[in-house]
Parts: sequence; C-alpha cells; structure tokens
Amino acid sequence: MDRVVFESVRKIFRHRPALFNWLGRERGGETIALKDVSFSAGCAEVVVLLGPNGSGKTTALKLISTVLLPDAGSVRVGGFDARRDAGAIRRQVGIAVATERSFFPRLSARENLEFFAALDEVLRRERAPRIKEVLRDTGLEEQADTLVMKFSSGMYQRLGIARALVKRPSVLLLDEPTRSLDAANTAHFWTTIRALAGQQTTVLLATHNFAEAAAVADRLLLLHRGQLLANRPVDDGESADALRSFYFRMTGEIDEAMLKV
Amino acid sequence: MTSILDKLNAILRRDLLTAIRHRSGFVVTLVGVFTELAAFYFLSRAIGPGFRPGGVEYFPFLMVGTGVYTFFVMSAQAFLSAVQEAQQTGTLEVLMTTSTAPAELVVLSSISAFAGNLVNLLVYFFAGVAVFRASIHANFLSCVGVLIFSLAIALALGIAAATLQVAFQKGSALLWLLGSGIWFLSGTMFPIQSLPRPLELLARAVPLTYAIDGMRRALLEGQSIVAMAPTLAALAGFGLVLLPLALAGLSLSLRRARQDGTLSFY
Repeated sequence: MDRVVFESVRKIFRHRPALFNWLGRERGGETIALKDVSFSAGCAEVVVLLGPNGSGKTTALKLISTVLLPDAGSVRVGGFDARRDAGAIRRQVGIAVATERSFFPRLSARENLEFFAALDEVLRRERAPRIKEVLRDTGLEEQADTLVMKFSSGMYQRLGIARALVKRPSVLLLDEPTRSLDAANTAHFWTTIRALAGQQTTVLLATHNFAEAAAVADRLLLLHRGQLLANRPVDDGESADALRSFYFRMTGEIDEAMLKV
Repeated sequence: MTSILDKLNAILRRDLLTAIRHRSGFVVTLVGVFTELAAFYFLSRAIGPGFRPGGVEYFPFLMVGTGVYTFFVMSAQAFLSAVQEAQQTGTLEVLMTTSTAPAELVVLSSISAFAGNLVNLLVYFFAGVAVFRASIHANFLSCVGVLIFSLAIALALGIAAATLQVAFQKGSALLWLLGSGIWFLSGTMFPIQSLPRPLELLARAVPLTYAIDGMRRALLEGQSIVAMAPTLAALAGFGLVLLPLALAGLSLSLRRARQDGTLSFY
C-alpha cells in the first residue's frame, strides 16, 4: 500500500519585491519549485530524492510535512490529505531538516528531545527510554547533557535525526542528513536507515550524494528544475558510479570530474 | 486535557531553563525594577503630597500603572521575541511539524511568556511596598479577578503581535504602537480624566485602561469584587471579542505562510 502519494503537485513561490524596488534590485516574478510532480512511496520503502540545488527536493519534503501547502494537485500521507488533515499527517511524519540550528541553544540535547517529544505527544512514561535509545542510535549518548549551543555541525545534524526518530514516525523525511557527518557516523546512519525500513518505516531522503543513494535507496526520484525526470528502482549492488552516470545522462549536465579523468 | 497540561509544562520548563541559564538576566531585571521604582518615588516626592489622582498617593498610582503596563508590553515583547528567534533559527518550521496544532502551540507559548512576566510584576509590587513604602489596601480576590480577566486581553495582544510577525514580519510595529500611543492613553502616568474629552473617550476604548484602573482600585483602594463588577465585565467583554479574533487572525496568517512558503521569513 502507498503511504505517501503525490498527484500532479505544483508548487510556485511568488516573489513580491518591496514597494520602492527601484532603490535596489530585488527580483519579481515567480519560481516554479515543482511542476506537476507525481510519485508514491510504500511501506518499508526507502526513496531517495536526487537532484541539484534548487531542483525541488526540499520543497517536496516540506509539502509532505505540511510546512508548505501545494498550489495544485494533492499530497496524501497515510490516506490523509495535506490541505484538510494536516494534523493527522503531522502525527505520522518525522522530519530532520538541513537547518542545523533549529534547537533551543540553552537546553541540553536531552532537554531539547524531551521538549519535542512532549509536543509530539509521546507518552510521558515512554519518553526517557525512547530518548536514551535515539541518543544511542545517533552516537550522542555522551553529549546528552551538553547544552546544544556548544555542539558542532555534525552533532547538530545527529540531534536533528534523533528528534525526527523519537516520535517513531511511520514516514521519516531526511534532508541531506549526512552533510556534516564523518565517515563512521555516515556508515552507521545508513545502517540505521535500512533497519528502519525493515521496521515498516517509509523513508524519503533528499541528497546530492551518489554513494548515499546507492547505499540506502530502494527507489530513486530524479528531480531537475522542479520536474521529475526519473522514477526507478535501484538494483541491489548498483554502484554510486552507475547512479552518477545515470544522473548526468538524464539531467544533461556536464560531469567535470569525468572530463578531468 | 492531560496532553495540553503536559505540553504547557514542557514549554514552561524550556522557558524557565533558558531564563536561568542567561545568568545575568535576573540581576539586570532586579536592577531595572529598583531603578524604575526609585525614579517614580523621587518624582512623586518632587511633585508633592498635594497631587492625589483618584484620591490615592501619586507613587503607588505610578507603581500600579507602570507595573501593569509593563506586564502587558514586556509579555507581548517576550512572546514576539520568541517567535522572531524561532524564525531566525529555523525552529518555527520544525515546531510546525510536531503533532501539536500551531494555534495550540502559540497559545501555550504565550501563556509561558506571560507567566514569567507575572513573576516580575509581583516582584515589582513587592519591592514598591517593602522598600519604597507604597501605601496599599489590597483586596486580593479583586486583584486576582482583574489579573485573570486581563490575561485574556494580554494573550490576544501577544497573539496579534505574533500574527503580524508571521504575516508581514512586522510584529514589532504593533508593540511600537502600544509602547507609545497606548502608554499615553491608558492612564499609566496620569488619570485619563486629565485628557481632552475626545481623547478621554478614545482612552475608554483601550482595554489596558480598564486593567490599570481595575488593579489600582483593587490593590490601592481595596474595592470588593462586587463593586468592581462593571470593570471586570468590561475586561471580560474585551477578552471575549479580542481573543477569538486574534486566534482567527493567527490561523489565517499561518495558513497563508504555509501556502507562500514564508513561515521562516524574518
């Protein structure tokens, strides 16, 4: 059964320059972030959204999380419509955003997680063991009682993942989750993602990283300038290089690294 | 209900922890309280004992007026700052993805902001009485009644500021208006009867006027809750109109921000 469904989704961002725009150079017009995009993601499936900057990956994740609403088409999660039943969707979805500093700086990692767990209606008696579990899974056990204002980029990123996991979402949204992680933490994270899929979680992961896509993806969505160029399964053992070739062939962009070789 | 209390507890704990970890914050607040009260004390001495607005001494008149006014404005300011900070750090978008409805989250957060400033107000009054010998004849039941009915108006004010911040990134404009215009009209420093008739009528349309007047009568004159029924009814009326309006405005502005993608703009 499909848990996340996009049907002909269109999202446009309109730029409204200031009243005295002649004083500066603020652009007007609009940016079409997603053009009639349709896809679905099933239970226990890891779907990777691949594409260059500005291709619409983050917009797609924000639409699923209900932070954004579509201009046309429909977004459904677990059978609920994002326009009409946003509350029901938010109970199912966990999101780890690319913004590192989306925490309360003068609270510790554990206190931040306790706060978000309360807002996510995690039962009080379940909070402490769940927080302990996600801190362990993200390698933050030793920093649990450190104020997050003292965290490095990578630690912020791991805490973002921990926050998304603590509510045990049926749909997990990850925006460039390993951008600031070291090699060991990245490898551990990929294992965690596959384990979550094994527990029936639907994972949608936006990335530029071909190795990451090859490591975790069941299926690949290739976005380019708001359009869905490809929606195909990723074969077991398909290499990062194979995905890289596919990406450049489909987008028509020039792979400068290959030119040097 | 349990869930709402649990969330309120989490928000209060977050704000309390943040406040106590800003180690200098309490000291700065205390110094501010004593400096302001000292200024009003010497101002009232300079004016002399003959000036008794509404039949009460001028220092306690000033103490209650500025205390209640500051409670309203600083609470709205604290709440607005929290929204602005959440926009700047990206926390607001994440908060909007939790299982808590956005309007519920905003109301609970504003209650927390007002709770902190209620403590400041009590410290302010206590210092005025204990240190500067302000003469009071409090009817505590009436004081509590005024506070409870004023809180709905204060919440509406905070939510309106948050609405403007989300919609136009200009919540501080509302507070500027409050900081100047309403300060002048609400009888903070002098009785509104001193104003020209048209301005006095305008002052009577400002909810804060009733909150300040009510608190003066409850705290300084010890009027009973029955004697204060008209003032309490006026406060309740303002609350009943303003709070639903503010919540509806907030709901609309949040939906618009989700449509336009401007939730984290600041």
